[in-house]
Amino acid sequence: MTNLQVGGDQPAGQHLLEVRDLFVEFHTRDGVAKVINGVSYHLDAGETLAVLGESGSGKSVTAQAIMGILDMPPAKIPKGQIFYNGDDLLKMAENRRRDIRGKDISMIFQDALSALNPVFSVGWQISETLRTRTEMSKDAAMKRAIELMDLVKIPGAKTRVKDYPHQFSGGMRQRVMIAMSLAMDPKVLIADEPTTALDVTVQAQIMDLLADLRRDLNMGMILITHDLGVVADVADRIAVMYAGRIIEHADVHSIYKQPAHPYTRGLLDSIPRLDHKGTELATIKGLPPNLMRLPTGCKYHPRCPYVQKPICVDEEPRSLNLGNGRTSACHFAKEMLDGNLG
Amino acid sequence: MFRYLVRRFLQMILVFIATTFIVYALMYATGGDPIQALAGERPVSPTQRAQLVKEYGLDQPFWKRYLDYLNDLLHGDFGQTLTGRSINDIIAESLPTTAKLAVIAILTTILVGVTAGIIAAIRRGGIFDNSTLILTLIIIGVPTVVLAPVAQLVFTIKLPWFPTTAGEGNLYALLLPGIVLGALSVATAMRLTRTSFSENQRSDYVRTARSKGLPTRRVVGVHILRNSLIPIVTFLGIELGALMAGAIVTEGVFNINGVGFQLARALRTEDTPLVVGIVSVLVIIFLVASLVVDLLYAVLDPRIRYE
Ligand SMILES: Nc1ncnc2c1ncn2[C@@H]1O[C@H](COP(=O)(O)OP(=O)(O)O)[C@@H](O)[C@H]1O
Ligand SMILES: [Mg+2]
Repeated sequence: MTNLQVGGDQPAGQHLLEVRDLFVEFHTRDGVAKVINGVSYHLDAGETLAVLGESGSGKSVTAQAIMGILDMPPAKIPKGQIFYNGDDLLKMAENRRRDIRGKDISMIFQDALSALNPVFSVGWQISETLRTRTEMSKDAAMKRAIELMDLVKIPGAKTRVKDYPHQFSGGMRQRVMIAMSLAMDPKVLIADEPTTALDVTVQAQIMDLLADLRRDLNMGMILITHDLGVVADVADRIAVMYAGRIIEHADVHSIYKQPAHPYTRGLLDSIPRLDHKGTELATIKGLPPNLMRLPTGCKYHPRCPYVQKPICVDEEPRSLNLGNGRTSACHFAKEMLDGNLG
Repeated sequence: MFRYLVRRFLQMILVFIATTFIVYALMYATGGDPIQALAGERPVSPTQRAQLVKEYGLDQPFWKRYLDYLNDLLHGDFGQTLTGRSINDIIAESLPTTAKLAVIAILTTILVGVTAGIIAAIRRGGIFDNSTLILTLIIIGVPTVVLAPVAQLVFTIKLPWFPTTAGEGNLYALLLPGIVLGALSVATAMRLTRTSFSENQRSDYVRTARSKGLPTRRVVGVHILRNSLIPIVTFLGIELGALMAGAIVTEGVFNINGVGFQLARALRTEDTPLVVGIVSVLVIIFLVASLVVDLLYAVLDPRIRYE
């Protein structure tokens, strides 16, 4: 089940951040949900990795495992490594890990209204880490909060710093959250569906802002989304996730040109496109698998239009290395790539 | 916020008028013979009676008597008891004692109930949580009428730790009755705190606070606590009213000269002016308490402050 893209026994430390063969399960009353089943991906400084997949595929859980904010229990990490600058976060003492959290690696969440604390002013929340985790004085921290609000282009930052989250529009709230995540100058920013809760016009503005910030501050960014449409302009590479596993990984250009996994192709075909006006939009049929009772073989086989018995049903495909950093966990990856399927 | 305050204030006045009116009317309707109640066992001659009726305005129509009363109230004059004592004096004498009792009770509720609720929420499903759940269910089922005499028996007679009666009440003597009075709301406060706290623990903003690398004690003690307090403060304010009512029983059992004790006596002797006077004071306290709660609510929750 080991992802070939990075061999399991390869030395750590060649990437800024690297998730290697991660497994996460949730132990609930109804049983054990195997949510993450061998995820591997990596991120280098100054690049954007998009993690793409349907809702429930485990994108957020992976991110929370990186941050170390999973509730354990019910969550359990039976296996896997998460390297940051060569150190395995999962083996670190909690106080060392907390030092990294929010400072080296920070995260923004989908719904800024519920993710911000309703009873504290935005300035208070943005400056909180500066006040409590650095030597900075209260006033200096508040000043820095205003600068950060300016940085994320909140108009009238100075007058709005004492306002509360509910007094902002959705887009402005998301900017507040971004400002908050930048307070400690992180090296890695994980953005978990940062635009999903927003209007379409605002979505583009936030995406642009994130792209600009990533470039100006030279961060690495993991952009989690279920919308292939938003990543094309922003991401360098795409990791497609299905049932807790990266099933395809490639640079943006190659993946749009020729997907190497039937699931990715399904996702691509379901994007509304101007040049396909009038034709019916394809959707992937069926539902994501039940994580308590995962299908045998390829987890995607019950929904796959190209399913071939018995191999797809019996054998879990390994992650095939297709060159140039491309991988695909499909028995017929090469055929997909050559356009010989479907 | 200003409009909110004005609205609240107008509401307060309306509630005050309505409550005093109802109490006044009820006492008026239950009738009895106040003159005879005043005289006790002695016979009253017709001339004496006529004079007393005139003196107390008993020959006036109901509405006139109520308006006179309201007018006096607004001037801070609660009038006289049937025995001719100033009601203002009685209240000034007994209210501080009851206030002390109520403060002890509220502190008990906060220290025991809210703290236990927080611990139970943090250790949800643990031994502490489960045992306090059972304990609170039992306590909720025991009314003050039972709890007060039992506590008196156990802690003043079997174990003579406290004086049996508190009388005018120094603080130490008021401790046991205060705790008994507070015990009434400890259980409810605990359940409420636990619920409010656990709900907030599951909130998205907690995940955000943790992702900022804040230590657990800050996530719990600042982020969660501040949000959980909002419903608890409301509860405590309203509970003050229930405490006043509970004080009638507790003060009776421990023989404390507070307003509850005076009210019980006034009811027994059918002293209408005193009953109405004390109830009016209680209504005022209750109204002020709920106003303070509303203000605190606005202080604690900016979403209300800026509605
Ligand atoms: N605390 C939890 N307890 C049980 N199951 C959970 C918990 N958190 C997430 N899951 C499950 O993990 C799966 C993946 O969730 P998530 O990573 O949030 O998906 P997404 O890709 O949409 O971000 C979902 O099926 C979800 O139900
Ligand atoms: Mg998610």
